[in-house]
Amino acid sequence: MAETKEEPRIGVFICHCGTNIAGSLSIEEVKEYAESLDGVVVADEYQYMCSTPGQSKIIDAIAEHNLNGVVVAACSPRLHEPTFRTATEEGGLNKFRFEMANIRDQNSWVHMHDWKGATDKAKDQVLIAVAKARMLEDLQPKSVPVEHSALVLGGGVGGMQAALDLASAGIKTYLVEKAPTVGGRMSQLDKTFPTLDCSQCILTPKMVDVGRHPNIELRTYTEVENVEGYIGNFTITLRKKARGVLDPTEAEARGIVGGGCNGCGDCAEVCPVIKPNPFEFGMAPRKAIYIYHPQVMPLQYTIDFDSCVKCGLCVDACGPEKRAIDLESVDTFEQIKVGTCIIAIGYDYIPIEEKREWGYKQYDNVITGLEFERLICASGPTGGHLIRPSDGQTPMKVGFVLCAGSRDNTGGVNKPYCSRFCCMYSLKHAHQIMEKIPGAVPYIFYMDIRSFGKMYEEFYYRIQNEGAKFIRGRVANILEDPITKNLIVNTEDTLLGRPVSMEMDMVVLAAAIQPKPEAEKIRQMFGVSKSQDGWLLEAHPKLNPCGTTTAGIYLAGVCQAPKDIPDTVAQAEGAASAASIPIHTGEVQLEPYFAQCVDDLCAGCGMCLNQCPYGALDLVEKNGRTVMEVTEAKCKGCGTCGGFCPGGAIRMQHFTSPQICAQIDAFLLEGGEQ
Amino acid sequence: MARVKDYGNAELEEKLRDTSYYTDDSNPQFLEDVKKISRTAANMCFQCGTCTGSCPSAPRSSYRIRLFMRKGVLGLEQEALNDPDLWLCTTCYSCTDRCPRDLAPTDVIMAMRNLAFKYDIVPRNFLKTVQLIYNTGHGVPNNDVNRAAREKLGLTRDPATTHSYPEYIPGIQKIMDFYKMKENADRILAEEGQ
Ligand SMILES: Cc1cc2nc3c(=O)[nH]c(=O)nc-3n(C[C@H](O)[C@H](O)[C@H](O)COP(=O)(O)OP(=O)(O)OC[C@H]3O[C@@H](n4cnc5c(N)ncnc54)[C@H](O)[C@@H]3O)c2cc1C
Ligand code: SF4
Ligand code: SF4
Ligand code: SF4
Ligand code: SF4
Repeated sequence: MAETKEEPRIGVFICHCGTNIAGSLSIEEVKEYAESLDGVVVADEYQYMCSTPGQSKIIDAIAEHNLNGVVVAACSPRLHEPTFRTATEEGGLNKFRFEMANIRDQNSWVHMHDWKGATDKAKDQVLIAVAKARMLEDLQPKSVPVEHSALVLGGGVGGMQAALDLASAGIKTYLVEKAPTVGGRMSQLDKTFPTLDCSQCILTPKMVDVGRHPNIELRTYTEVENVEGYIGNFTITLRKKARGVLDPTEAEARGIVGGGCNGCGDCAEVCPVIKPNPFEFGMAPRKAIYIYHPQVMPLQYTIDFDSCVKCGLCVDACGPEKRAIDLESVDTFEQIKVGTCIIAIGYDYIPIEEKREWGYKQYDNVITGLEFERLICASGPTGGHLIRPSDGQTPMKVGFVLCAGSRDNTGGVNKPYCSRFCCMYSLKHAHQIMEKIPGAVPYIFYMDIRSFGKMYEEFYYRIQNEGAKFIRGRVANILEDPITKNLIVNTEDTLLGRPVSMEMDMVVLAAAIQPKPEAEKIRQMFGVSKSQDGWLLEAHPKLNPCGTTTAGIYLAGVCQAPKDIPDTVAQAEGAASAASIPIHTGEVQLEPYFAQCVDDLCAGCGMCLNQCPYGALDLVEKNGRTVMEVTEAKCKGCGTCGGFCPGGAIRMQHFTSPQICAQIDAFLLEGGEQ
Repeated sequence: MARVKDYGNAELEEKLRDTSYYTDDSNPQFLEDVKKISRTAANMCFQCGTCTGSCPSAPRSSYRIRLFMRKGVLGLEQEALNDPDLWLCTTCYSCTDRCPRDLAPTDVIMAMRNLAFKYDIVPRNFLKTVQLIYNTGHGVPNNDVNRAAREKLGLTRDPATTHSYPEYIPGIQKIMDFYKMKENADRILAEEGQ
């Protein structure tokens, strides 16, 4: 498209944003300055430009002054670009005839106490925006169809809920879980606060449902290898890890009718290799061929090929009918096409042993909250008998160290945020001890008890009433009596103002949580940002907590920030709802910020092809010449190729070189202190 | 300041003394001074107690480092500087190692001691240490018992400090004179009649 040739007729609208902007700079001066600029035919201001009357000002001015460009000096495009584009369109202009100057986030908020400086800067920002507006052109967004399917990554309670919602809304959903079973952390818990229902009991129905829902394609022991595409059209490569055991469908595909793993466990019985079970944090053994626990979904054994010695005993035990075991199995790959994706990959504990003063992994009887869950759980390694790892004795005095690594601003492994569910699960643990071990006393060492949810404060009341002892002080250090293996917990009872030193039989650390180590790789593959603390970043903390800044990618559960099960499930349902909208709409509009090849200038050298991070460029024959061609749907408008092309043959729509040069020129020639 | 009552009975008055904290007890400049000297954000203390729990002095005395942090935050200058506990920190830095807010309570104490010195609030033993350093270059000078022990260990009778090189003492004195440390120590002790 050629540069616009008509005379620029631009309207500039300056927003007060209440006092957010008007309190720090002179709106009147900026308006007068805007009026003086070349091509500006009208300048106006209003208290809230985003309000209906504010938008009407734009719509009316377009008609009255026959505008062909609109500039709004206000907040950030992230917040209100769509609003003002719509107003521009309603006024009868192409919506890309709009340019925004961010005089709030980038000006009045940072220069709150510099009236003159902020006013001058706002003038410059308007000057630069007008320079671009003079050169804006009509652009047509591209509509692309949306695949009628979705991906949910991570099969914890969050991922399962999201998958069930999507599937029940009629969308084919791939639920991809890297472990051999779905369930996530929740299947490791004994009971859940504040209602104390059995975690596995309330989770199993969901696990069973994801296994048999006709719209759910469950892929366990599977990881994402590669992500390509954009909203509506993601192509995702999955790596199904070598499992060594065929399910009935896979067996049938190999002609073993009626065969495949039925979960009988005969194989594990004969397997000679014994390894620690990671599901039980190594507190129970498992074989090289294993399941995590009896309720796994799918009920299918898995071979850990790192420890399998390929003796073949399991093959014989499995027998000639089922023939489920394939010791030569290898990783396989599958490509799926989905319209939208939800990431729900959960969390890990921090390596709490690095806080040397609390003695985890130095002292036998210091354990973590998750280890406690397994030890108190009837299906856990001790059949639900809480015992001291050092001597198998029942502990009668158990200390709980809250905020172990959370709310901690020091370097290293420590986390400045609150992990949010450890106060509540420690109260739950206190209850479980008093319930199971008559006479046992829990001592809760805390800074604040954060019981923010429905019925949570009441739960705190209940546990206090049951006899738990609360000591307000963060634990300074723990020492071990080398003979009895008892633990001496040192802190200050800050309410008494006296140091305390208490001997405990066992100590449970409510360790801080952190993002999964692979979250970094996952977020890069899906193009999702992270916040300062490492959790995946939502599009807006209040108004768009399930979306991300990459269209078509949504977040659910703890991978976005610490949250308990109710909040995880709520967010998962929100993410599923958001992810289903484009699918049900059937098409999405892409921003028309594509690269374009100016064929006359292109030498066909092809050097740009490798520069493009999205593989959007190809060489094609056109009119007897080799030239570059852009696949618009793949192009993200990043500008890498445009900046690189030695012949200047690549034109970035909405960010053309003449547009950018005009902005720079305007500032250098007229900008600066006025 | 505690509000005075008048029951005409000293004992009762002491018992019923108003111990409330009023906002006009507070000197905001005190917190600023402490922050400036200690170079730690003392106002960020959230009173978790890790420092007192770590402190080797706390179980043996009434010294509570956490309370000094609190008094710093509230600007309770007179209360903090006149409290003899201020001088019970061993400067072991255990609290600084563990404070989850990454503060340096030890340096807050050192800052408060510096401020106390400006009001001549210093315990005798600290002043005597000043005199000893001025005269010998050592807070704890060598003595005959030590000398014998050193000989037994195969060391020289005196260490390679001002004890062996007294010619460096005038340099130390020059530094201390610049800050009027000895002068002030002598003066305060004289005023106390020591
Ligand atoms: C000791 C303890 C006790 C607790 N007690 C309670 C309680 O009583 N009540 C309560 O409400 N909350 C409790 N919680 C919190 C609860 O565990 C979480 O709220 C919940 O598990 C979050 O679910 P999620 O789906 O977000 O993450 P997770 O449960 O961590 O699930 C994430 C899933 O994603 C999978 N995954 C990870 N990476 C990948 C990848 N790269 N590819 C594919 N899959 C991947 C994981 O294998 C896992 O299955 C407790 C937490 C702890 C630590
Ligand atoms: S082949 Fe591997 S999994 Fe099977 S029994 Fe032997 S060691 Fe175990
Ligand atoms: S939830 Fe409680 S124990 Fe956990 S980090 Fe927050 S305040 Fe500390
Ligand atoms: S450890 Fe740090 S934050 Fe905690 S009370 Fe002491 S100074 Fe304050
Ligand atoms: S540095 Fe002082 S206040 Fe801190 S722990 Fe040591 S003795 Fe206590």
